[in-house]
Amino acid sequence: MLKLLREVFRTGEATHKYPFAPLEVAKDFRGKPEHNAVSCIACAACTIACPPNAISMETDVAAGTRTWSISYGRCIFCGRCEEACPTGAIALSPDFELAVARKEDLTKRAVFSLAACPSCGEPLAAAKEVAYVLDILTRSAASPEEAERARFLVSTCPACKRKHDVEQLARIGVERQMENR
Amino acid sequence: MTATTETRIGQPYLAALRKKLPHAVLEERWQTDDQVTVTVKLGSLPEAVATLYYEHDGWLSTMVGNDERSLNGCFALYYVLSMEGAQKCHVIVHALVSADDLEFPSVTPKVPAAVWYEREVRDMFGLRPVGLPDERRLVLPDDWPDGLYPLRKDSMDYRFRPEPTADNETYKFVNDSKVETTVVPLGPLHITSDEPGHFRLFVDGETIVDADYRMFYVHRGMEKLAETRMGYNEVTFLADRVCGICGYAHSVAYASSVENALGIRVPDRAQAIRAILLETERMHSHLLNLGLVCHFTGFDTGFMQFFRVREKAMTLAEMLTGSRKTYAINLIGGVRRDILGEQRLTTLKLIGELRAEVKRLIDILVSTPNFEGRVKGVGLLDPQVARDYSPVGPVVRGSGHRRDTRADHAFAGYKLIDMPVHTQAGCDILSRTLVRIAEFFDSIAIIEKLLEDTPTGPILTEDFAYKPYKFALGYTEAPRGEDMHWSMTGDNQKLYRWRCRASTYNNWPVLRYMLRGNTVSDAPLIVGSIDPCYSCTDRVTIVDVNKARSKTIAYKEMERYCRERTDSPLK
Ligand code: SF4
Ligand code: SF4
Repeated sequence: MLKLLREVFRTGEATHKYPFAPLEVAKDFRGKPEHNAVSCIACAACTIACPPNAISMETDVAAGTRTWSISYGRCIFCGRCEEACPTGAIALSPDFELAVARKEDLTKRAVFSLAACPSCGEPLAAAKEVAYVLDILTRSAASPEEAERARFLVSTCPACKRKHDVEQLARIGVERQMENR
Repeated sequence: MTATTETRIGQPYLAALRKKLPHAVLEERWQTDDQVTVTVKLGSLPEAVATLYYEHDGWLSTMVGNDERSLNGCFALYYVLSMEGAQKCHVIVHALVSADDLEFPSVTPKVPAAVWYEREVRDMFGLRPVGLPDERRLVLPDDWPDGLYPLRKDSMDYRFRPEPTADNETYKFVNDSKVETTVVPLGPLHITSDEPGHFRLFVDGETIVDADYRMFYVHRGMEKLAETRMGYNEVTFLADRVCGICGYAHSVAYASSVENALGIRVPDRAQAIRAILLETERMHSHLLNLGLVCHFTGFDTGFMQFFRVREKAMTLAEMLTGSRKTYAINLIGGVRRDILGEQRLTTLKLIGELRAEVKRLIDILVSTPNFEGRVKGVGLLDPQVARDYSPVGPVVRGSGHRRDTRADHAFAGYKLIDMPVHTQAGCDILSRTLVRIAEFFDSIAIIEKLLEDTPTGPILTEDFAYKPYKFALGYTEAPRGEDMHWSMTGDNQKLYRWRCRASTYNNWPVLRYMLRGNTVSDAPLIVGSIDPCYSCTDRVTIVDVNKARSKTIAYKEMERYCRERTDSPLK
């Protein structure tokens, strides 16, 4: 009994003032993921990495948009999105106070416009994603011709690329036949 | 995978099996140096399992049912035996069950430990264990439609919820007593608990004559979910959520099952970090149980003190992983977060404080006048009953059996240290509590040792490729005992089969024997001493055998009675 009393006095007050005073969390605490739509390129890498499907993408071809969204109600704060993101557009914050009054408020969205294929005009991918890849490829290209080729490969839709390839092959075929004569 | 004939452990068991049952063994396949799957003829299955179990110090770790009709036209059963004799290894007895008659000879009459597994495989796959003494459902609810077997590949989508077929619970509780008893029902539901259970105590006056219980009220279908919706790495996060207390142990067990199946060499540093975090988890879990022991013996100040000190273990986890619970640190091939110099120092400081503070609290607890009286000689688990049912963790160690996966089958960072194993011979609540106390201090020593000479190098390897239909075991020693996972890879970047067995699954079947002969007021303490998710046992039905009347008592009231031991609610 005496030992116990001594322990109680030694401890003093053990309770925190929270919620009336802020609660300190560890340095790399995994809290609410914050998304920065400015640096996001809508590449969807995070949607694939996210284990509980908290992040999703929806494409509206008619409107020419792609909508990125996160549901904080589904998020398990694992940080896989942060690891997968090529641009650092999503990162976990120390914020753990996520309660909202309405369920809808748990979802956050960002809308991106789609780039159209220069040949056929059909929507291809998010404009920012195309621009991002293009930027990397043109900067690393060895010659202006290679850069131009990269531009064609990145911004053209798969169907048009295929058509282009077939046309080229056909042309080469005709030239060969001419040579053989 | 890389096993060679010279390094393989466990060959004498196979030789013995072939000698005793000359025509039974059809094939042996080695998954790792100390994991072998032997295929036997279906008719010899019980004999093969029983031989390894009783003649070669085998313990039943899990049983896996698998719908392999798309692979070989049959269903498959894998009885996993942890061999703890001279050579420590895992021998998995495998047999194919025809998809036409779906019958197999039950192992339970020879090895009682198989009872829950065989009831479960009947529920989930519709396989019929012929000769199984207990034919009640185990996992599926009573109102689940007949003929719908959730884990069959062609049965249902994981989101499907069939309409209930009945309004009432039809489960038949079993009472083996020879005298007349009163029934005390505990349960079935508690709104705040994560896993409700329904207990029925059969009593004669104040003495429990027999007990039965029904679990799985909130079966979450995690295995099905993992097999149909998630990728390999995603399942590590799902496994983290198997348990709210010891989820990390599941995550490690799952990750190592896939790593073993594919022969992935996980870097030593990652293995050490896994062990450090497993011990962190054990510390908070054991402190929680010690707190509850105080609570149930009416010593609430002690409960508060243990929970206060436990916060340090939670802080430690938060600092090392970024989260107090659900550490989310594993990937297939290693871990995601390193332990840096500064974190190492803070860890050493925190565990130093924990050691001193818990030591003082333990002194207070054992010198509390009525503590020993309440826990000594109460809730006895007979060592022979333990031998028959393969319980795990402090429950089995409290009955004198030296079983600890960390020592027997060193995994993760435990390969780097000498692992002490604590046993107690009292077989009672006191013994189980003393084992936990000793293990708490071991955890601190293990973390210190691993932080002292942590292997250097990478923490994650990505140098592997997934191959279809590879399978193996992965295991850990969770705070409540061995967790056993069995995974088979698929051909679509998903698991073909994931079998996850939590430690308490192996401890429930012996609880019945632990309750017999004790008084009703000790029931909450005894149930608490296997350290289940406690709030599960909400209400009790007590049936008085002599007066032939039944009474339902609110759990709060049972708990009060356990703590105060006055004003029996049975009167
Ligand atoms: S933290 Fe995890 S669960 Fe949450 S959005 Fe990112 S990947 Fe998804
Ligand atoms: S991975 Fe990053 S850039 Fe890509 S969609 Fe997600 S947040 Fe945006």
